[in-house]
Amino acid sequence: MSAAAMETSIKRPRFAERRSTRKAVLVWSFLAPSLLIFLLYRILPLGWNVVLSFEAWSPLKPAVFIGLENYQEMFTDDDVFWQALWNTLGIIASAPAGIAVALGLALLVNSNIRGRDVYRTLIFLSYPLMTVAVAIIWRWMFDERVGLINYVARSFHLADSPIPFLNSFTWALPCVIVANIWQMLGFYMIIILTGLQTIPANLYEAAEIDGANSFRRFLRITLPLLKPSLFLCFVIGMLNSVTSFDLIYVMTNGGPGHATEILVTYIYKLAFNQTRFDYAAAITVVFFLLLLAVTWGANRLSGGNVGAVEHD
Amino acid sequence: MIKRQRSWPIHLTLIAACFVMLVPFYWVLKTSISGENIFSYPPNIIPRDPHPFYYVDVWYAIPFARYFLNSVVVSTLTIAANVVLNAMAGYSLTQIFPGKQFVLMLFLSCMMIPFQATIIPAYLITGKLGLLDSYLGLALPMFSTIICIFVFKASFDAVPRSLIDAARVDGLSEWRIIWRVMMPLAKSAVATNVILSFIWSWNNFMWPLIATRSQDMQTLPLGLARFISYQEDTTGALYAFCIMVLAPGILLFLLAQKEFVQGLTTGATKG
Repeated sequence: MSAAAMETSIKRPRFAERRSTRKAVLVWSFLAPSLLIFLLYRILPLGWNVVLSFEAWSPLKPAVFIGLENYQEMFTDDDVFWQALWNTLGIIASAPAGIAVALGLALLVNSNIRGRDVYRTLIFLSYPLMTVAVAIIWRWMFDERVGLINYVARSFHLADSPIPFLNSFTWALPCVIVANIWQMLGFYMIIILTGLQTIPANLYEAAEIDGANSFRRFLRITLPLLKPSLFLCFVIGMLNSVTSFDLIYVMTNGGPGHATEILVTYIYKLAFNQTRFDYAAAITVVFFLLLLAVTWGANRLSGGNVGAVEHD
Repeated sequence: MIKRQRSWPIHLTLIAACFVMLVPFYWVLKTSISGENIFSYPPNIIPRDPHPFYYVDVWYAIPFARYFLNSVVVSTLTIAANVVLNAMAGYSLTQIFPGKQFVLMLFLSCMMIPFQATIIPAYLITGKLGLLDSYLGLALPMFSTIICIFVFKASFDAVPRSLIDAARVDGLSEWRIIWRVMMPLAKSAVATNVILSFIWSWNNFMWPLIATRSQDMQTLPLGLARFISYQEDTTGALYAFCIMVLAPGILLFLLAQKEFVQGLTTGATKG
């Protein structure tokens, strides 16, 4: 009896231990496929990019370590890289304009009017659509001969002769930015709308009793409480537009010259048209660091929870 | 009592905004059904002698059915893999196990790596696996998404523990607990997963551009982009093709509007 009791008391922890090991194995095996995908297509590429950026390599010749030569070429000797970098930063800087328009629309849609759901749907409609098709639509809108924009500009005598928007060094980048904002607008609006609906109504009532006019209420209540939503829009809009390879590839393919080249299109061209994988990898590293820096900066400005995932 | 503001200025502004959002669609639709030369100036606002010939042209000029089939296969693979793998990973994250903090950290840092920053190695890796120019190679990088894993985790966390314990007492395996107990209670997470992975794979352009070589493997966005390069937009068929690609998306969006908006915004706020 006592021997049996001793046996179970010895056995029990071992049994529990075995069960928890079995559970850990099970949990990890459930995680394994996803982890494998991320390892293969996120972690490994990141490391490989860094390694490749210090090498001279192409699929036809063996890799040679060349230190910082790729980076040196990029920063001192490559005008296209600088152009692409400035264009990328320009597109990032354009995001707030779109967000400001979306904020206005969100305030209007949030007001107590009939048909607000219809407005919301129509404004959001462009966001989930295929970007390649959106690019073709906007190419056609900006068309030199029969594009709607030229037609309107000429009808109102804003332009004497047709403007070749997408072939013009001055206009091409703004045109791409307009198309990009057009697609993102509805998305920004929905995010801001969600933020607006979390602001308690009694704050406004209290302010109204205190005699604050609607502009002051907006400035002192709405705007500060919307800050997280606005920064979330900025980070997502920034990531979305900086990586909007499809739009630029189809609308201008980086042209004319390199007027609309962004880092992603330049990386693509270097790697897959000129097979300069090594140099393209070095630019990718710089591109990645740029995104990290901008996201980190936005996070700091917003008070630190943009894009954070709720987890325990 | 709600003070009613005068609403017509609001309506007017919103109608103007909707107009700006819709006019580009109309312009392309108009071009795709015009009977006259689409380059005549001034352009007509209303299509003259509308006809469907450009749509017929599309059918003969390009392997539309093939592109469509490729897109459907790749999207189906992606959606199926996403639902299964993300549900499994999401369930794991509701458990307590050694190394959980590490996995969470790993997921959060992976989220910071945009796909565009991985294309070169992704291409080389897929080549090493021998999967370039195959359906599996096209879908594989999108097989699992971190945002969606967290969507599943949040929804599984809301399932009462007593229910899971009861299922365990009844002798259900963990695998069965996921599929028989958890999934039916996480319908909205499944919807979010399906919608997000559908949009990502259906609209994806850059990866198919890199990972396919033969025309037989090209997906719809790729076919659309290639169509420009050899038609040089001299024909209305391009715009007919554009409408044919957009129409199913718009229809789907209007039918499942609520799920779309919800899915896309949770997808964003979580990541």
